[in-house]
Amino acid sequence: MSIMEYNGGCVLAMMGKDCVGIATDLRFGVQGMTVAYNYEKVFDVGPQLYIGLPGLATDTETVLQRLKLRVNLYELKEGRKLQPAVLTSMVANMLYERRFGPYFVEPVIAGWDSKKNKPYLSTMDLIGCITETDEFALAGTCSEQMYGMSEALWQPDLNADELFESISQAMMNAFDRDAVSGMGAIVHIIEKDKVTTRKIKTRMD
Amino acid sequence: MASVLCPDFAPPGFSFENHQRNAFLVKKGFPAPKATKTGTTIVGAVFRDGVVLGADTRATEDTIVATKNCQKIHYMAPNMYCCGAGTAADTEFTTASISSQLELHRLNTGRVVPVVTANMMLRQMLFRYQGHIGAALILGGVDNSGPHLYQIYPHGSSDDLPYCTMGSGSLGAMAVFESRWKPNMSEEEAKLLVRDAVAAGVFNDLASGNNIDLCVLRKGTVDLLRPYEVANVKGQRINTYKYKKGTTVVLKQKVVPIVVEDEVVRKVPGPDGEESMDTS
Amino acid sequence: MASERYSFSLTTFSPSGKLVQIEYALAAVASGAPSVGIKAANGVVLATENKHKSILYEEHSVNKVEMITNHIGMVYSGMGPDNRLLVKRARKMAQQYKLMYNEPIPTAQLVQRIAMVMQEYTQSGGVRPFGVSLLIAGWDNDRPYLFQCDPSGAYFAWKATAMGKNFINGKTFLEKRYSEDLELDDAVHTAILTLKESFEGQITADNIEVGICDANGFKRLDPATVKDYLANIP
Repeated sequence: MSIMEYNGGCVLAMMGKDCVGIATDLRFGVQGMTVAYNYEKVFDVGPQLYIGLPGLATDTETVLQRLKLRVNLYELKEGRKLQPAVLTSMVANMLYERRFGPYFVEPVIAGWDSKKNKPYLSTMDLIGCITETDEFALAGTCSEQMYGMSEALWQPDLNADELFESISQAMMNAFDRDAVSGMGAIVHIIEKDKVTTRKIKTRMD
Repeated sequence: MASVLCPDFAPPGFSFENHQRNAFLVKKGFPAPKATKTGTTIVGAVFRDGVVLGADTRATEDTIVATKNCQKIHYMAPNMYCCGAGTAADTEFTTASISSQLELHRLNTGRVVPVVTANMMLRQMLFRYQGHIGAALILGGVDNSGPHLYQIYPHGSSDDLPYCTMGSGSLGAMAVFESRWKPNMSEEEAKLLVRDAVAAGVFNDLASGNNIDLCVLRKGTVDLLRPYEVANVKGQRINTYKYKKGTTVVLKQKVVPIVVEDEVVRKVPGPDGEESMDTS
Repeated sequence: MASERYSFSLTTFSPSGKLVQIEYALAAVASGAPSVGIKAANGVVLATENKHKSILYEEHSVNKVEMITNHIGMVYSGMGPDNRLLVKRARKMAQQYKLMYNEPIPTAQLVQRIAMVMQEYTQSGGVRPFGVSLLIAGWDNDRPYLFQCDPSGAYFAWKATAMGKNFINGKTFLEKRYSEDLELDDAVHTAILTLKESFEGQITADNIEVGICDANGFKRLDPATVKDYLANIP
């Protein structure tokens, strides 16, 4: 078993037309044993900026805390909000610094780029190799299933409602074939003027 | 003291703070996960007035295609680009770091940086890390002494060559070069040859694929052609798989409106607020 | 290190509450070659005197106006060698920022960091303050910036200012000449005129240096361009 599957969990994000969505499952387990079903792996770093950190739960939390420290210092020092692309670069540097002793997380970053006035989506591997995309990005234990689902369900220019359905269905049907993730999901849809957070009904086994 | 706990920029070099834990996990039967590889075909060839670099755009995690359109031709300096193969993050960060040093070198010396300087910086860095930084590079550029092409291995050895290939698709690409490369080619000939070399990798190596990017460097000008060719077009989808609104059952919903506040303008202390000591 | 334990800061308070070392540094600046900075509507100009003591000197071999990064430039009044260190540090800080955030450093950030370095040299052991004041010109957020940075580590944002020898005359001149909607070309003109106010001898393209910063970035004007500007000056 890979250490990336120790606690289970997955994150899926997709880009739509003037919107971007990011979803997380809610399971927290220790190998086969489910410990909790309210464990979100997507966190807000700003009002319209979210980061998903699936992987080893201890590292999810360490990376998040270290990141928040850096984000807060940046915002205080520069007197401005962090743009998603800057966050991406920041996280990638943090991870690559530990190139030879990595944190076991694969971040997915979704947010609204208020400078360019358009949605932003990126992901990276556990040592910080960035991929910026305007399609979909994902990470976690059922990544193969999610790749398959997303290739079918994602298409360009989905509106916010369609995007929600595509993300939810892609993730739900993916983790139904994965024992170590699932147990409910939360979907955030980020638009220019609002963020909609929905908890969706899924199988609880 | 925030600067002590969290300095602006991390101290130079890598951090090994997780190394012991990770080694322990390996012993307990949790092997370290694999990082993204480029799984690549990268090539370069010298022609009459410059250099053409070429690369595919696929990144892989084991057998999964992690990225379909990644950029493997990295910017180094205004007169230099560098293709990277191997561990994706290593190629990315190595070229970025050397590119930054080259910019400092350019500003401090006030001249066009010679390609051989970049070559030395790259190989010295890679040699220092004894091959643990898995970056196989093809460096191309044009400086005051003409076009140059270097092939650099992860352990820090390098060759000065008229044409070269690297990555998992290098065999197919080299076959094309060996049969068709000749000195003093025209730019169009060179572009076509490089395209065919990358295509040999794209179609014969499973870890290479998707688009073909080219970069043409001449004296004073650079063209980054991305994509030069979409080698594989996804079949057109006639219908859609859209779910009807309301398919997914929502248990709870919260909408947070984003009210755009006035932008905060940070005031810079003016000359009035200063002490008598500062005479300006 | 044992030696560090006994290396005290040379910059210590006088009984009246002043740091005389900093005042001496400012005196070094005030006796240095004059430099001028003017912010126009569409850019910033930096100009300085680069006079040589001997006709044997090779002109344009050592520059005073330096590029820090594509969109930021810098000039100094005071001691040349001290400035070199700051230019080097500034360039490195700009590159570090770019690597970390994948975004060019905002001018205000760079100024803050340079000011931090200069402040450090007023409080550390075994060092003296820098004998330079800097003018830093930048372009970001679609607008021009002009900052001054002093040996104390204090920094100011200006619309236009002068430093170095005769800076009071220069400032008075600028106060009369400055207007908010100045174009960059006019600003270059005004900057050269300000230098001319206190210039001893004939002003030529070989004994002044001019740098401009606008949406296209920072550049030092070549002597031929400076000559063209000088041609329009009576």
